[in-house]
Amino acid sequence: MTNSNRMAGMLSRREIMALAGGAALAGMTGLPAFAQEAAKKGGVLKVAAPANPSSLDPATGGAGSDHSILWTMYDTLVEWDYTTLKPKPGLARWSYPDSSTMVLDITQGIKFHDGTDLDAEAVKFNLDRNRQDQRSNVKADLTSVASVEVTGPLQVTLKLKNPDTALPAILSDRAGMMVSPTNIKALGNDTNRKPVGAGPWKFVSWADNASIVVTRNETYWRPGRPYLDGIEFAIIPELATALRSVIAGENEMAFSLPARLKPVIDRAKNLQVITAPTLYCIQLYFNYARAPLDNVKVRQAINFAIDREAFVKATMGGLGEPATMTLPSSHWAYDKSVSTLYPHDPAKAKKLLTEAGFKDGVDLTIGSYTDQDSVRRSEVLQAQLAAAGIRLKFTRGTIAEISAQFFATEKKFDVLLSAWTGRPDPSMTYALGFDKGAYYNAGREADPELVKLIQQSRESEDLTERAKVFAKIQRFVMENGLSAPIAFQYELDALSKKALGYKPNLLGKPKFENMHLG
Amino acid sequence: MSQSRKGSIIVRRLLQAVPVIVLSTFIVFGLLKLVPGDVAVTLAGDNASDARIAEIRHIYGLDRPFLVQYGSWLWKAVHGDLSSSLVSSESVLSSIERCLPHTMLIVVLAMLLALAIGIPLGIAAASRPGSWTDGFVMTIASLGVAIPNFWLGMLMVAFFSLDLNWLPATGATPISEDFWDAIRHAILPACALAAGGVAEVARQLRSSLVEILSSQQVRTLHAKGLRPSSILWRHGLKNVSVNLLTVISLLFNRMLAATVVVEAVFAIPGMGNLIVNGAIHRDFPVVQGVVFTMVLIVVALNLLTDVLYSILDPRIS
Repeated sequence: MTNSNRMAGMLSRREIMALAGGAALAGMTGLPAFAQEAAKKGGVLKVAAPANPSSLDPATGGAGSDHSILWTMYDTLVEWDYTTLKPKPGLARWSYPDSSTMVLDITQGIKFHDGTDLDAEAVKFNLDRNRQDQRSNVKADLTSVASVEVTGPLQVTLKLKNPDTALPAILSDRAGMMVSPTNIKALGNDTNRKPVGAGPWKFVSWADNASIVVTRNETYWRPGRPYLDGIEFAIIPELATALRSVIAGENEMAFSLPARLKPVIDRAKNLQVITAPTLYCIQLYFNYARAPLDNVKVRQAINFAIDREAFVKATMGGLGEPATMTLPSSHWAYDKSVSTLYPHDPAKAKKLLTEAGFKDGVDLTIGSYTDQDSVRRSEVLQAQLAAAGIRLKFTRGTIAEISAQFFATEKKFDVLLSAWTGRPDPSMTYALGFDKGAYYNAGREADPELVKLIQQSRESEDLTERAKVFAKIQRFVMENGLSAPIAFQYELDALSKKALGYKPNLLGKPKFENMHLG
Repeated sequence: MSQSRKGSIIVRRLLQAVPVIVLSTFIVFGLLKLVPGDVAVTLAGDNASDARIAEIRHIYGLDRPFLVQYGSWLWKAVHGDLSSSLVSSESVLSSIERCLPHTMLIVVLAMLLALAIGIPLGIAAASRPGSWTDGFVMTIASLGVAIPNFWLGMLMVAFFSLDLNWLPATGATPISEDFWDAIRHAILPACALAAGGVAEVARQLRSSLVEILSSQQVRTLHAKGLRPSSILWRHGLKNVSVNLLTVISLLFNRMLAATVVVEAVFAIPGMGNLIVNGAIHRDFPVVQGVVFTMVLIVVALNLLTDVLYSILDPRIS
């Protein structure tokens, strides 16, 4: 399906999108129909990447922005559908013979870039390293795995401590990126600077904050792929500069651009503009373990006081989707019935505050960041909430500083204005954000019912069954106002007319596998 | 002045540099530790729990006492090992080897531009104080000081790169790889950086030159019947050379600092870029490495300035 079809489909399904209005529609009509063009092999794509990777070793890295670069070199055991994020087979197919066993059958004949076979031994080696290595950052994702056994030359069997049907999605993330065991045995954690995977491109060089170069893997397992001979990433964190480099023809693509640059892309006549929904959710995190946000009515009042549609228009130039829960409308686990819980209603918000004992309104401390977009968001929000008698007192700082003050031990601020970047499986989102003791649950408290539901969400293998559990979780989270989702940010990319075949995905982290040069 | 006196100045200055280097790296290290948030948060990744962050701190030795951490960094640095980035594990020395030439190229080019334009402007203004030329030069100079270099940089990119397509908008080529391409990439950032420098040089040169030219010594020279041009070039400029040297050395240091912003605007992978990324992630070996290098450069530059002073004006020792 082309991008424009997909967006149009989403629009007709979701009347709420009408509010995004002119801007979103204008963006869509400008989209070229990619699917019709025959992909041509060859050529090197130059891409402006927004951040230096934290590591090129999937197990030890940590930044969400790493994935776009990691996917060029590493294939994953499981992949997903671009639009809905439903998991689908990657390097391996999975099955659950019973609720405490997961079997992975690996595709035959795949080799790593260094010639090592990608077989059951290699997969076991990777999964064990991800589970047990001291420096592994994906240990927490694999806690449900009790052991990994080789049960055939191309088959591994995972024994599970408890049912965990989030594993396919987890294995589409870092934990499922297969690294050559030969390389790790030779280099240890230095594999970070000399990565060897089984992806469509091979690593060539990485100069910190400057460039990353990858070149075609001639023995890639998917016939006819990749189209591109290579990709050269120029690391340009200043996104206006990244866009200028595409306008000047020095790069062919810049991604993850902020909405305020949309007019600049539109003005440049030689560019294609891509916009598409993502999981990236701008939201308010609450510390509901203490007063005044321990009172559910105050949390609900905040949710009623936010005018999400106006927020999208004012801060995102219409390039967003109002968020009524932590999943966007195109996601497979989205539940429509929850979306109507909080219409914009300042009067109702005031009433709830009065009932909660705050007749004269309430003062809340809130943390936020110093960048231009965050400042604009906080100003709009401050005005909206003030109309309902909720007075916000902002403290600004860097992301690292402010979020640590809110989530870690200091517990500063009642509220944090930040974002949730999304996870491949919704159960990860809820476990990380709302489970008892979870880091992104600032107060660390959780209702036993919610804890039970989060566990349940990983029990069934059937996505329809799981979607039902997620609907319950979403309803619980929103009815109790455990957070205030505000808007999903659209992905915004600028591509030269030469860069073809790009398809956005719901994670908002570009994959280059379908791209070719015209 | 004797050779040995010059030698003793150099030795004394070098000895003074040691505490400067230790103190400045210590202060920067302390600042990095004082600001909230630390590199362990970056290292632990997006999903990290409090326990995981604590574990990471332990693995990387970030839970050791402050002085022990600084001491171990200093000990290694003294032995020529600037450690590796905690985040990306690239060796700091190789980062600096790659980044420093880009930064130095821009700064040197900007310096040359500032002098090539600023000196004639300053002389023109000083030779006819109060004239139309003087007013014009001083207006330009005020503008140069007032205009932020990143803004000027963006304007120049819009005009020279995006409209006219004469010069590249972003990036840098190593000078060892392709000399002319490196220069092409460095021209716009150097111009942006030089604007303030031109103004500074012109103003300082004008004011000291005006002072000299209205002195009794110059009146005597006039009375002696020397031609005005000869007074200006032989006596005037020689006397302001010490002032000019001070301006140049201060300007050089200031330009080094300004590269932090200019490099971001032009996406140049230089030292400014390196230290900004290091500081954001509290990646202290990187920040320390850059500070260490910069302090060395500044100390060396000041030393050179002092030696040149004593050559230009034998009264200075």
